Amino acid sequence: MNLGSVFVAVLQRDWAMMKRYIVNTVSSLVSIYIIFLLIFLGFKSLSGYAATGALEGTMEGTVIGFFVWTFTVMAFSDLAWNLVIEAQAGTLEQLYLTPSGFKWVSGCTLLSSLTLNFIPIVVLLVTMMATTGQWLNLDFISLIPLLLVTVLGAYGVGFALGGLALIFKRIQAIFQIFQFVFVGFLVIPQRVPWAKLLPLSMGNSLIYDVMVDGTRLWELPIGSILTALIVGAAYLAIGVTIFSVCENIAKERGLLGHY
Amino acid sequence: MSKTATALDVTSLTKVFHERGNKSVKAVDNVSFHVRQGEVLGLLGPNGAGKTTTIKCILGLMRPNAGDIKVFGESVEAHYPRILKNMSAVLEGSRNLYWRLTVWENILFFAGLHGVTSRDNKAHFEHLVRLFSLEDKRDVEVRKLSQGMKQKTSVVCALARRTPLVFLDEPTLGLDVETSLELRAVLKQMASEENRTIIVSSHNMDVIQDVCKRVIILSQGRIVADDHVSDLVSLFETKAYRITLLEPVPEGLQEALASRFRGATVTGDGTTTEVKVNLLENDDIYVLMDILRDRGAIIDEISHEETDLEKAFLEIVRRERNNHESR
Ligand SMILES: Nc1ncnc2c1ncn2[C@@H]1O[C@H](COP(=O)(O)OP(=O)(O)OP(=O)(O)O)[C@@H](O)[C@H]1O
Ligand SMILES: [Mg+2]
Repeated sequence: MNLGSVFVAVLQRDWAMMKRYIVNTVSSLVSIYIIFLLIFLGFKSLSGYAATGALEGTMEGTVIGFFVWTFTVMAFSDLAWNLVIEAQAGTLEQLYLTPSGFKWVSGCTLLSSLTLNFIPIVVLLVTMMATTGQWLNLDFISLIPLLLVTVLGAYGVGFALGGLALIFKRIQAIFQIFQFVFVGFLVIPQRVPWAKLLPLSMGNSLIYDVMVDGTRLWELPIGSILTALIVGAAYLAIGVTIFSVCENIAKERGLLGHY
Repeated sequence: MSKTATALDVTSLTKVFHERGNKSVKAVDNVSFHVRQGEVLGLLGPNGAGKTTTIKCILGLMRPNAGDIKVFGESVEAHYPRILKNMSAVLEGSRNLYWRLTVWENILFFAGLHGVTSRDNKAHFEHLVRLFSLEDKRDVEVRKLSQGMKQKTSVVCALARRTPLVFLDEPTLGLDVETSLELRAVLKQMASEENRTIIVSSHNMDVIQDVCKRVIILSQGRIVADDHVSDLVSLFETKAYRITLLEPVPEGLQEALASRFRGATVTGDGTTTEVKVNLLENDDIYVLMDILRDRGAIIDEISHEETDLEKAFLEIVRRERNNHESR
């Protein structure tokens, strides 16, 4: 298998697209920042309220939540949206002709998206920190593995929805809703008993520990890391399974090239 | 691999689509054929005959209901997706390319998916770009190209994957005469110099007659002919003659011809007469001349109608339809 050359090809493709459509990349980051700014100003005007601790984590939590959410939504949309767009454009069938298999092309797409979006998202994070004056710990050695573990759940959801969209074309309408469902996963407090089992949730809380308390990766409770990893991997496995089932139905009905 | 190795074996391929309300369409019905390495095979058939479905089943883009497909002796199903390293395709109707990338970026991307990197194959990519006269457009985004150039770029991207087996579903759609000639030349060259096996579906008979030695004709999902182009053409070689006379219809000519040649027609416009006759045997031409001389006919012109692939194709498909309806 030529996974190396597949990854290089995908990375070059995405880099070329990103360069050519830099305005899109920048404007989506700016719009996320603007939403963040509105929330931040809202908080400030209710400053007494924040101090009561009614909303756990308050400002730091919001900054981190936005950071993780941006990563998640990028990963999710690179999977689910791209699948729909490529099916409509007709390039999907060409991707399906890859000898290492379409799923690995998707996997490479996710990695390339993380690679290319990492720096812009960190710039966004720094801007958010500067706006709030909340300087958080940017310990990338601890953060990057945790981010990867956290987005696994979002990849699972992306695969599942992308697969369903191959068969039920209308389902793309709920993609947008899912971007907000992810917000829900990120804000549910860890003391809710089943919160650990939701995608994103556990990983997000570990990232919080690193960025706010300065805990290093190896100082975190191993049980929590394992929980985050197993939950993320389980969502990914379920998502890929749903995708495979849908893919089979699509091949049965000849839907890969019809949109 | 020797030149006579089999590149593709399709055995009893069947694909049924179920539509709403329990209706089902047998898009491909028990189709079997074999293609030797280096062969250029034409796939012909009227709209909905099952050409695209056959190609997509071979490529694993659609799942067949029954049948066995082997590529270079290996079962496609058992070795999927690895077996795709042998195959590339330009698919009908779909874009096949990223419109927002340049010609060159598309080539690098699609070849890269097949493990064909620009580091080792740059010269080959450049060669393909030159062959299709796309040098000037190399760094232009595909969306800014004309329809024909886009189509050529799709073909280049398929060929750049350097696979021994190439499927081209309607590659000449939207190409002007000159470009279509250019494509034909390249395909012939690819087959002979690189020993590639190429399967082309097209509604353009000239293209098929020019590049393919052999054709398979599909109709309603079934193979109705599988033969060398030249054999198919000679099968339908009729000795059809048209004779123009410089006079009104001579008396008794109609009857004399009809008694000797079935289906002969005589039409006149008062000053000239046109005679159409199908000759069956070689000596018939003398008989015909005798009949005309006996009536003192003044011959202005004799012409012989050529049979080509298009005529043969239309005749085969027409007969097949009639058979089907009378069954
Ligand atoms: N995805 C699909 N779902 C349902 N029916 C389909 C599907 N794809 C093809 N068919 C049907 O299968 C039959 C064969 O279609 P196919 O596209 O293979 O024909 P074709 O020979 O390629 O025709 P054309 O010359 O128009 O491209 C047609 O009756 C078509 O309606
Ligand atoms: Mg077709």
